[in-house]
Amino acid sequence: MAPKKKDIGAASRAKIGDDEALDWLKPRTLIKPDDQEDVPEADLEEEVGRILTTINSQWIADEVAYHYGKGMFVTKPKPTFGKAYPLYIHQGTAIRKDSDEAKAQIAAGYGMVGFDDAGPKRVKIKKTKTEEEEEEEPEPDQPAADEAKGEDDHAAEEEKPAEPEPEKGAAEEQKPGEEGEATEEKGEGEVGEEAQEVEQEEDDNLDQILAESFVIKPRVKKLANQFNFCERAALTYNYPRRSVDTQTVPPPRANYGATALQCIIFDYYQEDYARKMKEKEDEKPKRLRKKKAKHAKTEQQIHDEKLAQRIREAWAILERLVNQNIYDDIAQDYRYWDDPSDEFREGMGSLLPLWKFQFDPMRSHAVCDVQWNPHYQDLFAVAYGSLDFTCQQKVGCLCLYSIKNPAYPEYAVITESPVICLDVYKEIPYLICVGLYDGNVCVYNAQLSLESQYQYKSNSVRDKHSNIVWEIRWGRRLIDGEPSFFSISGDGRVVQWAVMPGELQATTIITLTSNVPPIPGPDGTMLTVNSCGSCICFHPEKTEIFMVGTEDGMIHTCSLKYNRNYVRSIQGHHMPVYRINYNKYNNSIYASCSGDWRVKIWEDGRDEPLFMFELGSPVGDVKWAPYSSTVFAACTADGKVYVYDLNVDKYRPICVQAVVSKKTKKLSRLDFNSKLPVIVCGDTKGTCHVLKLSPNLRVMCKPPKKAQGIDQRTLQIMKLDKLLSLVRDPPFQTGVVDEKFEDD
Amino acid sequence: MANEAEETVRKLSMHKGVAGVIVVNGEGIPIKTTLDNHVSVQYAGLMTSLVDKAKAVVRDLDPSNDLTFLRIRSRKSEVMVAPDKEFILIVVQNPVE
Repeated sequence: MAPKKKDIGAASRAKIGDDEALDWLKPRTLIKPDDQEDVPEADLEEEVGRILTTINSQWIADEVAYHYGKGMFVTKPKPTFGKAYPLYIHQGTAIRKDSDEAKAQIAAGYGMVGFDDAGPKRVKIKKTKTEEEEEEEPEPDQPAADEAKGEDDHAAEEEKPAEPEPEKGAAEEQKPGEEGEATEEKGEGEVGEEAQEVEQEEDDNLDQILAESFVIKPRVKKLANQFNFCERAALTYNYPRRSVDTQTVPPPRANYGATALQCIIFDYYQEDYARKMKEKEDEKPKRLRKKKAKHAKTEQQIHDEKLAQRIREAWAILERLVNQNIYDDIAQDYRYWDDPSDEFREGMGSLLPLWKFQFDPMRSHAVCDVQWNPHYQDLFAVAYGSLDFTCQQKVGCLCLYSIKNPAYPEYAVITESPVICLDVYKEIPYLICVGLYDGNVCVYNAQLSLESQYQYKSNSVRDKHSNIVWEIRWGRRLIDGEPSFFSISGDGRVVQWAVMPGELQATTIITLTSNVPPIPGPDGTMLTVNSCGSCICFHPEKTEIFMVGTEDGMIHTCSLKYNRNYVRSIQGHHMPVYRINYNKYNNSIYASCSGDWRVKIWEDGRDEPLFMFELGSPVGDVKWAPYSSTVFAACTADGKVYVYDLNVDKYRPICVQAVVSKKTKKLSRLDFNSKLPVIVCGDTKGTCHVLKLSPNLRVMCKPPKKAQGIDQRTLQIMKLDKLLSLVRDPPFQTGVVDEKFEDD
Repeated sequence: MANEAEETVRKLSMHKGVAGVIVVNGEGIPIKTTLDNHVSVQYAGLMTSLVDKAKAVVRDLDPSNDLTFLRIRSRKSEVMVAPDKEFILIVVQNPVE
């Protein structure tokens, strides 16, 4: 079979080589031994049919094996049938008469047994046996064959290694021819004995096979035919179906109801937007955020602060609402009530008392200064001090009142010393500088909470005042941009204070000298006496020019540029000058008032006053009205407010009104509101009175028919100029004015 | 802060005609009052719902707007309400005259 196989192999290999589908294989050249027989192509291509023959082509007729015991080659035992396979073996019951077995049986007496006697039984047995055999025969046939074949194969296999390789190859090649030879050899070499042996063995073998077939039969399993596919199906075990139910705990439920109003939706959008913004912020590099975080307060703090602020505001507004209810009639009057009697009193007016402002802890204090806020028209600042110098108060107070809330100050701060004067900074209307009784000056920031007190104080500053600060005025900003203010004090010095960051810096502008010759001191040294300044007033336009009033009645015009000499000096009064006030429309006209009961109107450069009015009591304050060039008001110690309109009456006030009873109280200061027709005046018992000016006190100029388009300011200036020209021309005589006042 | 609030309530309640001051917290519970307890509770409860409603009115007309104050003038008295997210201040005042 080997050559056939080889052929087939070659053919298949050739086929593979030809196969287009397998050209991915590496082209390989067949390595051939050099001495390979050269077979023509046609032979290779020749088809070799497979023919089933009765001759076992594998069978080797005479196999020899070396017998070591005998030290010679012996023929291997083999089935006698050699080339043929028994397809059917039937063992007969007959035996040869002359055979040993028969002889033995005859000897034993079996031969004599009659057929009839023993036959049936035996036959029966035989029959059954044969029947059995017949029945079984087809089956054991194959296994027997298989076995034989297997054995044969086995034998062949065993043989092969024993035989030398070429011999085998030769034997195989020459098989058909040599077979006869082999048998001949066998016949020659090995004697009949051996053949006998072989035969016997053959029989034994056959018996064995049969016996085996009998014995083994039940156990023999049909071997699977490895060349045939056999389909085998297996059914896996099916688990029986079962349904299992479990019930979970139901999730908690709650009913929720809400109204989706437009505003709520809007709020959610706002929130969402804010959150997105924050996320964006968070995406920024960490470094930037850290910087911010350092300065930022915690969210809670911010929230608390905001809440506190909101509560405060809410309270403030509620308080105002309550006050509005309480003072409803006053508010109505303030807004709408004009004295109807004015129409019938030509040239005379009246003052309507509106609110009274009091601060309970300051009931025994005097209002030493009062000033409307330049920015908030309903707000005014009050300085609580004391004018009773024999029995001074220990503390003072700075209050801010709003006419919206007469019951309680919007801002109140207690100072360590009585406050004598104050000034509100025009540029920054919450900065207020105050002058104290003990000579200190402070700057307060009304925006800060009350705990922080003042923002600046001159306590630790060198060259601060050593006497009462009588008046204090904000000035121009310095070159470096710092705000500055000026103060005048009883120690005779005018000091400029620069508000530096964190501190005040003092510069003495001028020291007021007096005409009094040096006085010998107790130890004989001569002491020069300074005159005591009592008021200061800056020129509205020329910022370096200012006027100083002193306690001995002098009015000095000074300049910031000369710190030794006065520009001008006039003996204005005989008693301390309490106030000097420039006219709002004409910068050369100013008014002064004094403890000598007089109010004088001056023109720059004239030694004599243009007007002089005697009010019968020390005049605490005089102020020009902001709305008219010829109207001014003064308040006196006997509790009266005088309002003059020089255009209406050059000699008499157009209104005299007692605001407080003169027995207990004195009026100390007053101020015109810059926009509203009201004035505020303070008395010595800590009350501030807000008075409304009646229509006659605030008559506006009517433009002449020729020139309708002229604005009010020009008209006012013209009005004053016209008046001045009347006054200036005739030589001024003091006596005349004095006489006019006797009937008051 | 507490002192400040105390002071303000005292100050307000001393005004002429003020019958009572009530501070209501965010949940509608009066936390500070100068009135009787049950009256305060009543005011607080009623005002809270009124404020909510009033706020809804204002906000619905213009979502960027908000209610700031509420004044209820009645024949006998006036109730002034300062609403906020976290508190409500109520002042009851009997008008002068």
